[in-house]
Parts: sequence; C-alpha cells; structure tokens
Amino acid sequence: MSKALEFENRRDFLKKLGTASAATLSMGAPRSFSDEIEQPEAKADCCILLWMGGGMAAPDTFDPKHYEPFRKGLKVSDVGSTFPAIPTSVSGINFTEGFEEVAKVMDKGTLIRSAVQPDLGHILHSRHQYHWHTGYVPPQTVAAPHIGAWMAKVLGQRNEAMPAFIDIGQRLEGVGEKEELKAFHTGGFFGSEFGPFLLPYPDQAIGAVQPPKGMTPGRFTNRYKIYKKLISEGLVGRSGSEFQQESMLQSMEKAHRLLSSREAVAFDLTKEDEKSAGKYGKTRFGQGCLLARRLVESGARFIEVTTEYQPFKHWDTHEKGHTTLKRLKSEIDQPIAQLIRDLEERGMLDRTLVVIASEFSRDMMIEGVPGSNARDQTTHKVDVISELKHYGQHRHFTGGTSVLMFGGGVKKGFQFGKTADERPFVAVENPLAVEDLHATIFQAMGISPKTSFDIEGRPFYATKDGIGKPAMEIFS
Amino acid sequence: MILKAQIAFLIAVTSFVSAKVDFAHEVLPILKENCAKCHTNGKYKGGLSLDTREALLESETVELGDSQDSLLIQVLTAKDEDERMPHDADPLPADSIATLAKWVNEGLAWEKGFTFKKKTWRAPLGLKKVDLPGPEGGNPIDRIAAAYFQKNRVQPPAPIPDARFLRRVSLDLVGLLPSKSELEKFETSDRGVKRAAKIKQILSRDLDYADHWMTFWNDLLRNDYAGTGFIDGGRRQITGWLYLSLKENKPYDQFVRELLNPTAESEGFIKGIKWRGNVNASQVPEIQFAQNVSQIFFGENMKCASCHDSFINNWKLEDAYGMAAIIAGKPLEMYRCDKPTGEKMDAKFLFNELGPIDKSLSRDGRLKRVAELATTEENGRLARTIVNRLWARLMGRGLVEPVDMMSNRPWSEDMLDYLAWDFAKNGYDLKRTLSIIVSSRTYQSATVIASKSGESFVFEGPSAKRMTAEQFIDAVWGITETAPGKIDAKVERESEKARAVRASLVKSTLLMRALGRPNREQVVTTRPADLTTLQALELNNGREFVNYLNRGAAKLVAKKERVETLYLEALSRLPSSLEKQVGHEILGARVTPESAADFLWAILMLPEFQFIN
Repeated sequence: MSKALEFENRRDFLKKLGTASAATLSMGAPRSFSDEIEQPEAKADCCILLWMGGGMAAPDTFDPKHYEPFRKGLKVSDVGSTFPAIPTSVSGINFTEGFEEVAKVMDKGTLIRSAVQPDLGHILHSRHQYHWHTGYVPPQTVAAPHIGAWMAKVLGQRNEAMPAFIDIGQRLEGVGEKEELKAFHTGGFFGSEFGPFLLPYPDQAIGAVQPPKGMTPGRFTNRYKIYKKLISEGLVGRSGSEFQQESMLQSMEKAHRLLSSREAVAFDLTKEDEKSAGKYGKTRFGQGCLLARRLVESGARFIEVTTEYQPFKHWDTHEKGHTTLKRLKSEIDQPIAQLIRDLEERGMLDRTLVVIASEFSRDMMIEGVPGSNARDQTTHKVDVISELKHYGQHRHFTGGTSVLMFGGGVKKGFQFGKTADERPFVAVENPLAVEDLHATIFQAMGISPKTSFDIEGRPFYATKDGIGKPAMEIFS
Repeated sequence: MILKAQIAFLIAVTSFVSAKVDFAHEVLPILKENCAKCHTNGKYKGGLSLDTREALLESETVELGDSQDSLLIQVLTAKDEDERMPHDADPLPADSIATLAKWVNEGLAWEKGFTFKKKTWRAPLGLKKVDLPGPEGGNPIDRIAAAYFQKNRVQPPAPIPDARFLRRVSLDLVGLLPSKSELEKFETSDRGVKRAAKIKQILSRDLDYADHWMTFWNDLLRNDYAGTGFIDGGRRQITGWLYLSLKENKPYDQFVRELLNPTAESEGFIKGIKWRGNVNASQVPEIQFAQNVSQIFFGENMKCASCHDSFINNWKLEDAYGMAAIIAGKPLEMYRCDKPTGEKMDAKFLFNELGPIDKSLSRDGRLKRVAELATTEENGRLARTIVNRLWARLMGRGLVEPVDMMSNRPWSEDMLDYLAWDFAKNGYDLKRTLSIIVSSRTYQSATVIASKSGESFVFEGPSAKRMTAEQFIDAVWGITETAPGKIDAKVERESEKARAVRASLVKSTLLMRALGRPNREQVVTTRPADLTTLQALELNNGREFVNYLNRGAAKLVAKKERVETLYLEALSRLPSSLEKQVGHEILGARVTPESAADFLWAILMLPEFQFIN
C-alpha cells in the first residue's frame, strides 16, 4: 500500500470517528488503538438484530431435516424436524412449515446455515448470549461492550436526537438469569454513553422519550428554563472542572432535546396508520419490529428486537418444543417478513443490515456438540415418544445454527454453509464461528474486526483478539 | 536454507487466509525472542534500533510495502552465515519470516506508544522514611506540598470556607451531606480547632463510615448482593466480614491477610466468579486470583501476562501462573493464549525478592505464606498502593496515575513515600491516613483544573469529583425523605430501625446502574467521571427518580423558608439574593407540588450539587 493511500484512509476514518469520539475525549475514556487500521467501506448505515433468545432450533426453522409427524411410539432418533419442509422463493432453499411469509422474502437475503458456537461444557443460555453479543466468553477481565455499543462507539449516532443503540423487548428485572443478562446489556468499558437505551415494552416506548408522566410539554420546557437560569446566575463557575461541567451541561442539553424533539414521535406506535400497523400483529415482538422500522427511519444506528429471553420460555424448549414453536412461529413469521418488505419499499433495505440470529440451535438428541460432556437438560429423557410434550427439539445444540441476513450488501437468495443431512446436523461446509459472524456483520457496517481500543493499557478488539474473519462470499 | 520463492508463497498464502498481521500478538513475540537482545534498549548493534517504529524507519533497513527490498528481511534469509540474522543462532522458521515480511509489506504496524526502551525510573519496593522539608510542626502533607509548589512554581490554591469544607469532608469520609443544623452549628462555632475536631467526630461515626466505604471496597473486591455467578453457586459474598472490618477499622495488613488466607466469611474473594461450564484458561478462578490480587493490593496489571508475556509491562506468563499456583490444588500447567504449554508452574509471589514460597507447602500453607509476603513491612508496595487510592478518592487524582499502574512515577515521590511509611509504621490504620490528608491545608483548598495532564502533570491543588451513584442517591433520599425501608446487605448494624438506609447497602437499581454503579463482574477502581446523555435521560424522566422528586416535593411544600432550606440541605450554603428571587419565581405565590418538584429538580441537576468541590 502506498503511503498516500494509507494517509487518506486514516484521515477518512478519523473523520468518521469524529462524532463518536468527541463525546468521549474525557478522562479515563478508552483511547482508540486503531486509527491506523483500514476500515472497510460500509455497506449499511444501520443494523437491526432480531434476536431469537433461548436457542432457535435450526431443524424446526430454517434448516429442515427428515420430518416425522407426531405419533405415539415414534423413536426420537428417527426424527430430524418436527415440521415439514416448505419451499421458499428461492429454489433449492427450504424452510419449515410456519415460516410461509419469511419464505416469500428469502429471495431478498442470505441464509447462513453453518454458524457454530463453543459448547462451553455446560449450557447456560445467558453465558452463550453474552458470548454472542460481545464476542467474548465470560468471565472477562474487562467489561466487554455489546455489539451495539461497538457500533455506537465506532460509528456514532446517525441522528443527534436519536440514541445510537436501542434494545427492544428484553426486561432486565423480574426475569430469570437477570444478573447475567445485565452483564452484557451494557456499553462495557466504553461507558454508559454507548450502552443500550432499553425499551422492554414497545407499546410504552414513547414514555421513555417524553417528559415524565403528568408533565405538560409547557411545564417541561419551563423547568429547563429555570435550570438554565439558575446556572447562568453565576453558580457554574464554582463547581467541577471546566470540562466536566461542560460535559454535564451538554448531556443535559442533549437529553432535553431528545425529550422534546420531533424524533420522539418515532417511538409512538399509535402514530402508525392502522393498516400498516396491523401487518405487524399485536404481539410484543411484532410491535417491536414495527418500532424498529420507525426508529431506523428516524436515524437509529443499532437496534435489537428480541422475542425476549426467559428461562424455559419461547425458544428455550426443554419440553413441548413442537407446540411451543408452532405458536412462536405464528407470532414472528409475519412481522419479520413485513419488516423486510417495508424497508425495501422505503428504499432503505440496501443500507440496513437485518440479522436474525440466536445463541445456538437445538436438537432432539444431542446436548452441546457430538461427544460433549455437557449435562443433558431436557425435561423428559425418553427414547420413544409417548406424549406430545416429548415431541420437539429439547437439547441445546452448538454444532450448526442458522442465521438469516437481509440488506446491507448481502447477496439476495443466497445460501452460505450447510449442515449434514443426517444426525449429527453439524456444519459440514463453511463453519462460521461467533467471531467470524461478528466480523461479517462488522464488515457490512464498515468496521474492521481488528478495530481496537486501549483499556488499562491493553488493546481490546472488536472481535476476539482481532481474529474474526468476515465471510466475504455472502456479499454481492 | 529457505528460498525467497518459498517465502513469497507463504506470504501469499497467509495474506489470502488472514487479514493484517497483528503487531502485538504476532510480530512482537518474534522480535522479542530473536532480535531484542542486540537491537533494543541501549544495545544497537550495527546501528540498528528496534525500540520504536520511528527508530526502525530511521535505520533505513525497511522499505515500507516491499519486504523483498528491505534489508531487515533480506538478512533473515542470507545464505552467508556471517550475514544472516540472528547471529550465532538457527535461522528463523519460515513462518516467522513470512510474518515479518508481511508486516513490512503492510506498512510496519506498531502498537501505539510501545517502546522496547525500559523506563529509567524504577518504583522502589521497600518503605522509605522521608525527611520532611520546611519548618518543624504543621501537617506533613502541607510541608511536602509547600516544597513541591515552590520547586514547580505553582501558586498554592486558596483555602476554602468552613461550609465548603464541611460539605466536602462529610461527603468524602462518610458519603453524606451535612445536615442543616450540623452546618449552622459548625459555621457559628468559634473554636480555633473546630475543623480538627470535626474530622475526628466524623471519623468516629463508625457505621456511617462503614456504610460509605462499602461502595469503594465492593467495587474493588467485586462483592455485591446480586450478580453473575450466584445462580450456580459460582460466587460467594463477603458482605458481613467486609462491613465488620470497616466498622472496626481493621488494620489494613490484617484485612489483606484475612482476604488472602481467608476464613469462611471472607473466602468469597479468592473464590472469584465462576460461570457454569468451561472457562478459558486465562479466566479460571486461580488466574482471577493472580490478576485481582496484583491489581487491587499492588497496582500491577497481570491481565496481559495471564495469556502471554506482557508487552505493556515486565510481567511474564510465569509471573501470572506463579501467583495463580498459590491457590491451585496442584502445580498449574501454563497456557499460552489458551493453548497448553506442557510446563508446570510452582507457586511464586509477585515480588520474588521478598522470599520464596516453599514447594512442600500445602494449599493452606501457601495461602498463609502469601498473606505473610503480601503484608511484610519490606513490601512497601502494599502501603503505597492503598494510600495512593485514598489520596485519589479525596483529591480527585492519584499521586500515581493510573491508580492501577503503581510502577509509574508519582508526581511527588516524597508524598507517596511519606504517607506509605506513616501508614505502615502506625498500624496500617486507614482512618489515620484519611485524617492526615483531610487535615491538610492542601486538601482544604479550592479545587483547581490541572493545566497539564499525562506524564507532565503538575499538582496544583485538589480537583472536583463527581458524586458516586451512591452518594448522589443517598443525598436525594435524604433531601426528599424517600429512602427505602430496608437494606439488602446482610450486615450487623446496631439499632437498624433508626438508621437511614444507604444506597451502598441495597441491590443495584436501574438508576444506580445508569449513574455508574458497576456490575462488579470486574474489579473497578475508578468510576467514569462524566454524566452521559443516557444518565441525563434517566434523571429527566426515569421512573425511579421522578418518583423521588414527586414525593420530595410534597414534603417541600409543607416546609417553611423553602428556598433557603433546600439550598442549605443540598448545597450547604444560602442562596444569593438573585437565586432567592429565581426560586420564588419558580415556586410561585402559591406553591404547588408541581412547582416544588420542578424547583427540586433544578437544584439537584446543578453541577454544584452533583460535584464534590
């Protein structure tokens, strides 16, 4: 590479970093190590992660295997999928029954069937989720930032009045494994400026960006005026260091602006016209998808919408897998497809990366990977199915997981990697580790997997030790 | 002999499969092992210095982007043994040469700030008695500071008035705002030694003191009432032991001994945090012990060395494993970057020169021995590290910065050495050191904004500190009278019912997390100083905070002289006439809960309220 070129890239990168780092040139803030790293050209400006918390079983969703309908006396070992395969809009790629709508938009995206995870010896969902969301397996010596925090930090806000990193649908109180969930729903060592803006209930999202309940906009404005007046009465000079005061007042100003901005309307689902809102359905996840679309339109950088992880609920099927998934699929099929269609219709899909992913897959027989010592956690350890509750993917499987991607420069109607046709359904082509999947997502967003920041004098990388390698084949 | 074509092929292959070469993890180990001996840190054979990227470029042995044209690479494959590098050694393996060539081709990436040149200053290990400068008598800190100011031509900062002193010292020592009556009494007292008497009285409030310092120690020792690991029994609290130790002002050497060689009540610390399942070799509880003990008690960073020899300090993999082996059940096998090396490591203390740990000792014996080595008076690092942390808490910045890199040079060696020596010679008494610092005129001075930072820092006076989440919430609970009914921490606190609930003793909430209370997954020794936008949002419309405001407003309505009262309670001063006027404007002729809440909010949002200055 010539020197001139290197310089140009570096300057561009610094320029790009400008908005993000201006806010953090403060005491103790992590310093970027990576201004000499070449950042790839961004294919997308924003990212929506649709999170299937609890372990989305590939054989019952996007990677159909041998199907056997439920009947008493069925041997577990004879069943691959508990749903029959259905065709998608791409010949050669099949889904399973219940995903008829997503099947129709398969021609707009790429299906990865070979994501793999370490089995870590004993499955704890939140630990794998921590790994998936930060790229690092806990415990860690420094607080690892969430992937959304990385985007917020490196790319900055797209719109000043819109938080860069928004998390929709996950409660952090009143749910199991909440402490573990809190441990990665964070900006980590980047600090809380880059942490998630939490919206557990999409239909109440507007409350988070409005003046407090019961306060009129007029009173809210007036309160801020009083505050500014008290400051301008000459007290400010007596407190804090110049910089800290300034930064505090700036943050207050930003918060005030957000709470009285036009963008706040994006958080209000009642403002969506009934017809288009109806297409997303009434479930929390459907509403979350709708909210994500509205927020992306208004300039959010990274949004995660989750079906919500709760131990033994939703995707976390230790029993009754088939019936649970039948219900779950009916709730998410339409909104996912609608989100893709809406983004495309608005001309935004090209510059928005949508990722549908989960911490791992599930299997009817194997816990972890073949040969693992991980403790079998299924509720009913039966070889022969005698009741409907035995029928489903009740073990955690880390050997082959499906990830669906749309927009952001990924190929349309493309399949990457595959799993074996017969059990064990492990990835047999292009296995993609968590750090490589992250590198792929970061590639689309214009972030090198080697991007790093200095924390306690050590470099900390966007992908584990900077080793993640993007699957370049999936980009058009 | 390796042919150039082969190397070219290797380079082609590696660049196909991998991204850019990684200086820290790939290049540096090769340079260290093969080149550093003759070409770094003062030895520059053949005039070649590899100390820094700049030095290497100046040597003109590198043609950026063209390894084949670079002498640095050419000499590695030279056929003539006299020409070939390294001298008198086997040629480098082909993959190492390929890595270096690729590194040159890619533009010679370097770790920012890294240099092979060793620091000339070495932090001493032993304690040192400092001859105090200046005239006899007076606070030792002030005597050292006076000499320092003179030498550095710094105008000493101005003294602060009584009210400001009381607010600062009260928040710093027990985490609480002074009450209105306490303030009035103090300001009107005409006793000559009233500040000294006040310091003594505040430090004697054992429970308030323990309540406050729980925050600091919980952060350091990763203790909390909820958090990761508890779910699988992979973690244990030391709450009861810690609280009692603070309440009793347990001598610090004993405190450390009880953590390193624990009883059932304090063993949670060395147990570390274990998540369900397998753990990376660099994060097993034994390595956590090595990292945390080194960082917390000695200000040394063992995190790099837990995986490979460090390139930011002098610690090696063996040092980390030597410490880890102290608590291991058997000799520990070393892992380099998560791969087993086959080598076993015996227990070894961080500062080897203090003495060995006998191989034949059992685990219990080793723990007893390490507790001894950690707290022997010859180990001055123990005292230096903690007095530096206390100084940083009170003065807003450490004598050594960062506070976890105690091998860095302090801005005043005398100050650090004096405080450490005094601390060790007087029974490792934490309260004594706190008292010496806050009794100094240096502490009792107006806060300043340092005009120089980093290595060229010059001390010009104390700096303002932002309240911790716990200090802020305690203050808000006090002013609005909204503290919750009970604490979560299992501690012995006499006359529990009568005592106010403190934020440090309850489980973290969304508001506390937003304001910077850490998850305590990692050791935290310094919290972020800035108020971020997300925090500001939480303070604007967060449910928890709004609830305190509204309840506090209802009480404020019922009070007399509301503006004056609130200023005294929150800011420890009376409002100016202009401020009084604005206050009355806001509250209106007929005060409503709404107008009171808005006034309350405006005061609590003032930087003057949220900073300790």
